[in-house]
Amino acid sequence: MHENAPVLQATSRPKIGSRYAKRMRDGGKLPAILYGHGQQPLPILLETKATLEHIHKGEKVYTLKIEGQAKDQTVLLKDVQFDYLGTRIIHADFARVDLTERVRTRVHVRFVGEAIGLKTVGAVLIHPTTELEIECMVSELPEHIDLDITGLEVGAEITAGQVKLPTASMKLLTDSHASVAHIVLQKEEVVAPTAEAGAATAAAQPEVLTAKKPGEGDAAKGAAKPAPKK
Amino acid sequence: MAMLPKRVKYRKEMRRVRDRKATKGNYVAFGDYGLQALDGAWVTAQQIEAGRVALAHYLKREGKLFIRIFPNKPISKKPLETRMGTGKADVDYWAARVKPGTMLFEIAGVPEAAAKAALVRVAMKMPIRCRFVGRRVSV
Repeated sequence: MHENAPVLQATSRPKIGSRYAKRMRDGGKLPAILYGHGQQPLPILLETKATLEHIHKGEKVYTLKIEGQAKDQTVLLKDVQFDYLGTRIIHADFARVDLTERVRTRVHVRFVGEAIGLKTVGAVLIHPTTELEIECMVSELPEHIDLDITGLEVGAEITAGQVKLPTASMKLLTDSHASVAHIVLQKEEVVAPTAEAGAATAAAQPEVLTAKKPGEGDAAKGAAKPAPKK
Repeated sequence: MAMLPKRVKYRKEMRRVRDRKATKGNYVAFGDYGLQALDGAWVTAQQIEAGRVALAHYLKREGKLFIRIFPNKPISKKPLETRMGTGKADVDYWAARVKPGTMLFEIAGVPEAAAKAALVRVAMKMPIRCRFVGRRVSV
């Protein structure tokens, strides 16, 4: 992955702040930040179209060419910020790395094969975690981890600890008991008759925690009342 | 049966400001596909229930549904032909506060085409514009 790391052209960002960032986004640029290795953080600007193309492919390691700097830098995509609809990337975080350095990152888990359990009617594959946090060398960083679910039956579960990592030097940081995939059987719903359900809803009221109990209100009032001044 | 809280601290609540965008609960977290709100509204318990029933009817026993919103806001309403004043009215219904971007429903375990067809039916039961979304890119 690292040998042919995509090259991103960047320029330093002179003006920072949300107002300027918005203007830059409107002009087809993606605001980003570069940090790490004990150096000063550097706000940068990237080409939105080219950068997002690589990010959506799942690339994590990039070669950054910053205008005015002779040396290229190897960087790791650490985080991205989304807009309020959660789909448009509006900012990216990059960390300076060496190829021999060990880093902590999240890797996407890709399911391979069709589980036996899914042939049962009403069986659904649930995957609460779609990515695992691992520690590995930058040069070993995989694009995704393949997980074979062929033998997974109804009620069976694969935890993060059971996932086979591509190389032995990789260390799993996610809780080893965290569920990655399990198959559950959907129960058929028993629908109550409509009239009864309607009546039940109308009658149902939540318990009010601060509601005064009968008799409590007057006593409390009397106790709280200050003594009249003479 | 429509959803409603088991216990609350206060019986009635103020209306409060609602023209904000969602900063949390705005992505597909549990399922594979979701229905996202594009406008803000109070979605009533009855509307949520209508959406759930529409989805259950369409999918039969397939797939798993996640309802990401809960009606925990009491909405009071004065009876018709009542003079103003004499205090706040009784609670009429319960609603969920939905901001633009909030994920309303999610589905797991069905193909994309089936999920889309099902969630389009749910969107018809909602009082706001919605859109069908998948899981977003993971970094």
